[in-house]
Amino acid sequence: MPAPVTYRGMSLVIPDNDSEWIEFYAHARAHRLMMRKCSACGLMRYPPTHACPWCQELGWTWQEVSGRGTIHSYEVVMHAIQPGFKEITPYAVVLVDLDEQRGQPTPDEALRVIANLVKPDFTAEADANVAIGKRVRVVFQDLADHLALPQFTLSDEPPEGRVWRLPE
Amino acid sequence: MARLDLTLERGPDMASIPPIARTHPGGAVARLDLTLERGPDMAPIPPSLARAPAEPWRGSVRRDTVVASLAAVQAARQEESMAQGLRDKYCIVGVGETEYSRNSGRTTRATAVEAVRKAMRDAGLGAGDVDGMMSYQNNDSTPANWVAGDLGIRLNFYMDVIGGGSSTEALIGLAMGAIEVGMCRTVAIFRAMNGYTEVRIGGTGARSAAPVRGQDLAQVPYGMRSAGQAFAPTFMRHMYDYGTTSAQVAHVKVAHSRHASQNPKALLKERVTVDDVLKSRWIVKPLHLLDCCLETDNATCLIVTSAERARDLRQRPIHIMGVAGRVSKPRTDFHWAAGPVSRVAGYYAKDIVFGQAGITPDDVHVTGSYDAFTFTTMLQLEEYGFCTKGEGGAYVSSGIIELGGKRPNNTAGGHLCEGYTHGMSMVIENVRQLRGTVDDYCPKAADGVHTHDYSPGKCRQVKDAAISMNLGWAMPPTGSALILRK
Repeated sequence: MPAPVTYRGMSLVIPDNDSEWIEFYAHARAHRLMMRKCSACGLMRYPPTHACPWCQELGWTWQEVSGRGTIHSYEVVMHAIQPGFKEITPYAVVLVDLDEQRGQPTPDEALRVIANLVKPDFTAEADANVAIGKRVRVVFQDLADHLALPQFTLSDEPPEGRVWRLPE
Repeated sequence: MARLDLTLERGPDMASIPPIARTHPGGAVARLDLTLERGPDMAPIPPSLARAPAEPWRGSVRRDTVVASLAAVQAARQEESMAQGLRDKYCIVGVGETEYSRNSGRTTRATAVEAVRKAMRDAGLGAGDVDGMMSYQNNDSTPANWVAGDLGIRLNFYMDVIGGGSSTEALIGLAMGAIEVGMCRTVAIFRAMNGYTEVRIGGTGARSAAPVRGQDLAQVPYGMRSAGQAFAPTFMRHMYDYGTTSAQVAHVKVAHSRHASQNPKALLKERVTVDDVLKSRWIVKPLHLLDCCLETDNATCLIVTSAERARDLRQRPIHIMGVAGRVSKPRTDFHWAAGPVSRVAGYYAKDIVFGQAGITPDDVHVTGSYDAFTFTTMLQLEEYGFCTKGEGGAYVSSGIIELGGKRPNNTAGGHLCEGYTHGMSMVIENVRQLRGTVDDYCPKAADGVHTHDYSPGKCRQVKDAAISMNLGWAMPPTGSALILRK
């Protein structure tokens, strides 16, 4: 089993028999954002789980996605709980609708991913720049030989729909 | 299609009226506007229920209008006779709790024993009368069999369940089931935690240092670990979708703080203003400090038994009309995927619990919502239909949820002010409300004599409370509900 990766004071544990995350993180380390795609109905899912939630098929393949998306919702942590996050507080956590599979198979569904909104150097993006509707793209924060965390950074694309952030 | 206006009155046929139109047991007449299709099903409408359409309406008119085909009415009858099989057959007969503190100075075993014993005394039950025990916990408490042993209770059934919020109502339903099938007769349900001095509910301390693996990898590495952090995107999206404001939601804290000022047991008895909430420091946007609940050391207990046995016990039996347990949105592993993100589990739970009880939100006199945060109360009241979806902000800031308002919520102060109990205290409070013996500052409160003067340090008994509802919350995609009557 690879040694746990320590990141911001947390121990990230991914044992050899972790049939959900090992390959996902290995792909992320190669800077590819991969989703599990159902072999039967073709729908992608995240996190990397073991059955298709729409058709219960067990078979799947990895499918690379663009990593581009729109902020669907967010929060800004002003008071960190985990000690290792205190040094980067305030930091934003974003819920991102990836461009692929938006509104499928039903209108309220999407391929959604949670990560931090970071600057290109992986420091926290300023609170004032976080908003629903802003466009983002994935970046990969390398933590070990076998593990990188997908993160999001603001893209230079125009926002989608109404841009909204919590009033001051 | 012909349109008929039917007038329904209470009677032996009541069980066959769709829940949305039924009067509450205290009951005035209800009105149904039914659209009927002619057909072979016409006959089963009891003639006593039908009136000539031309005859003018007399009696109280409800705003609910049901349009249904007769076939649908019949289908509903069948479904209901199953769903309502246990309505009013089980009661909560005893409640008890320890002091709410931030320094219990003793084990959860000690506090659990105290709470269970108090509930037994409240009900007038001895050790030989309780033969079932259940608890819920997150590896932060004492199992039921030890607590029962301490109290000399020999168990025919016990179970300790992993879980926090929304477990109270779910376990009440499970206790009813255990009794119904004959596994046991009377079940004590408790929750005991040192939520401030041992395993902190807010996620600081030991919990923040736990290794991250499995499902947690989807959120925790991003600094999304505490309840507030895990729920905040739901709250934020509600503000985006419906224009809900921080000031509107702050009224939940204001209301609960007013209620806590009438509660000798409450940890925070000081009344606060909207401004106090908005000026308190940010924790995780959109949550200010005063949008968040307390962390508390305490134990709580309630006792469930059959209505038949309840008749002989010390307290007025409080009947269980309906219960829904841990009802969930799709993709409970990662509910963000399913959406809408601003929807919570009550959307799915409401038909179950109101269907069993055969009432509508209008019939409820007092509510107890899981106020882990101000927003959770707003979201639940809205999702269960106390107002239109999206109007929760206006609803909670209208005065309706305050004592003296149309339907007060969390009359003891709730998790925001009284203390944090993982949901049990709000059920205990509603039981006392329905008994008419809320433990406020009225001199003869224990005898059910109340002034209904809701100024600080006075009364918190709701006048003529006959039906209560609890809205239990585990997280945005999972919730429970409970409807009680006196």
